[in-house]
Amino acid sequence: MRHRLKWGSIILAMTAGALLAHHSPSAEFDMTKRLTIAGTLTKVDWINPHIVVSIDAKSDRGKIENWRFESNPPSWFRRVGVSRSEIARGIGQPVTVEAVRAKDGSLYGYMQKLTLADGTSWELVNATEK
Amino acid sequence: MRYGLLFVFLTALMLAQAPKTIHPDLSGIWSYGIDLPPAAIKKQINGKVTIEGVKHDAVATIRPVAGASPFTATPSYKPELRAKAKDLLDHESKTDQVFYCGKPGIPRIGPPRKIVQTPNEMIFLYEDISGDPYRIIPTDGRSHRANADPTYYGDSVAHWEGNVLVVDARNFVEDTWFGEDGYFHSDAMRVTERFWKDGANLIYQVTVDDPKVLTAPWTMAPRVVKPSAEPLEESPRCVEADSKRLTNNDHHGQR
Repeated sequence: MRHRLKWGSIILAMTAGALLAHHSPSAEFDMTKRLTIAGTLTKVDWINPHIVVSIDAKSDRGKIENWRFESNPPSWFRRVGVSRSEIARGIGQPVTVEAVRAKDGSLYGYMQKLTLADGTSWELVNATEK
Repeated sequence: MRYGLLFVFLTALMLAQAPKTIHPDLSGIWSYGIDLPPAAIKKQINGKVTIEGVKHDAVATIRPVAGASPFTATPSYKPELRAKAKDLLDHESKTDQVFYCGKPGIPRIGPPRKIVQTPNEMIFLYEDISGDPYRIIPTDGRSHRANADPTYYGDSVAHWEGNVLVVDARNFVEDTWFGEDGYFHSDAMRVTERFWKDGANLIYQVTVDDPKVLTAPWTMAPRVVKPSAEPLEESPRCVEADSKRLTNNDHHGQR
C-alpha cells in the first residue's frame, strides 16, 4: 500500500536516469557500466514483472551469444503508449540495445534503449525531461 | 373489521410507495492502484521524437481526505513478534511471495479496477500481475459463508453505513502480507474496507485487525482513486527471473 515512495527513491538514486525494476536496480545491475549490443532481435516476451527482449549477437570471437534484456513492466509500457506489436515487428531484424549489465556477468541487462533497423527507437528517460 | 382491512391495505400501500434507500453508485472503472515507474519513454518514429510519461492524474493517490478515519503509518505488532516482522522486511526480496508473482491478497492488492454494483451484491474486478482476481460481495444482509476454506482474497460481505460501503472480509490463508513491509498476519485477520465517493473520486480506506499478532487494529491512510477511461486488460503472465541475480536484500518497491 506504499506507492510512490520507493519508485521515487529509486529514481533519485539513479544517475543513469530511468532504469527501474521491481527490486533495487543496483542490487542486480552495474549502474556505472552502460553497454551497447548490436544483433538480431529474436524474441519479445511481454511478461510481468518485466518485459524481456532477446538478442542474438556476435561476441568478439565471432560466436553467437543470446543476450536477454528486461525493462519496465507491461502495464507501464501500456500506459506510455507502447504495445508489444510495435517492438515485435523488429523480430528477425538487426537491432541495437543500450543497457546496464547484470552484476553476475551473465548475458543479461536492463534495457535503456532499443533501436530498430529503420531508426525507430524507444528510450527510458526521466519523467522530468518531458 | 372493515376498518381493520382498510388499515392493512393503506399500510401496505404506504410501504410499497415508501422511497427505497438510495445508495451511492460506486460502479465504474477506477484508476490503476499499483504504482508505476515515474520514468517516461522517448520515442523516435520516422524521425519524430515524442516523450510520453505515465499520466499521474490517472493513478490512485494517497492524500488527506475529509471524512476519513485517523490512520497511522505502520501497524503495531505484539512485542514478541516485532523481530519476525523486521526479519521479513530485511529480507523482503527473499521472503515476499509477491516478489515471486504470488497473490497479494487483501488489502495489499488495493482498490478494485472495476466495480459493478447491483441491488444485492458488489462485483469487484482487479488487474494484478499474479492474475486478475474478482470478488463477489453480497450486500443483502447475509452472513459469511459457513465452512468455507480460507483463501487469498477471503470471504466478504458488505453493508452500507450511510453513504459508505463497508466490506467485512475474513477467512484468509496465512501466507499473504497486508503490506509490503513484511506485514504478516494470522488466520484471524479481518479486513474492513470502506468505500465512499468524494465528488467523482472513490475513496478507499482499510482497517486490518488481527488480535493474534497486532496490539490494536491498524487503519491505513485513505486512498483517492480517480475514475479511469482505461479498459481492464488481462495481465500478462508473471515470470520472476531476477532473484537469482540479486546481490543483496534491497526492497523491491513493487507495491
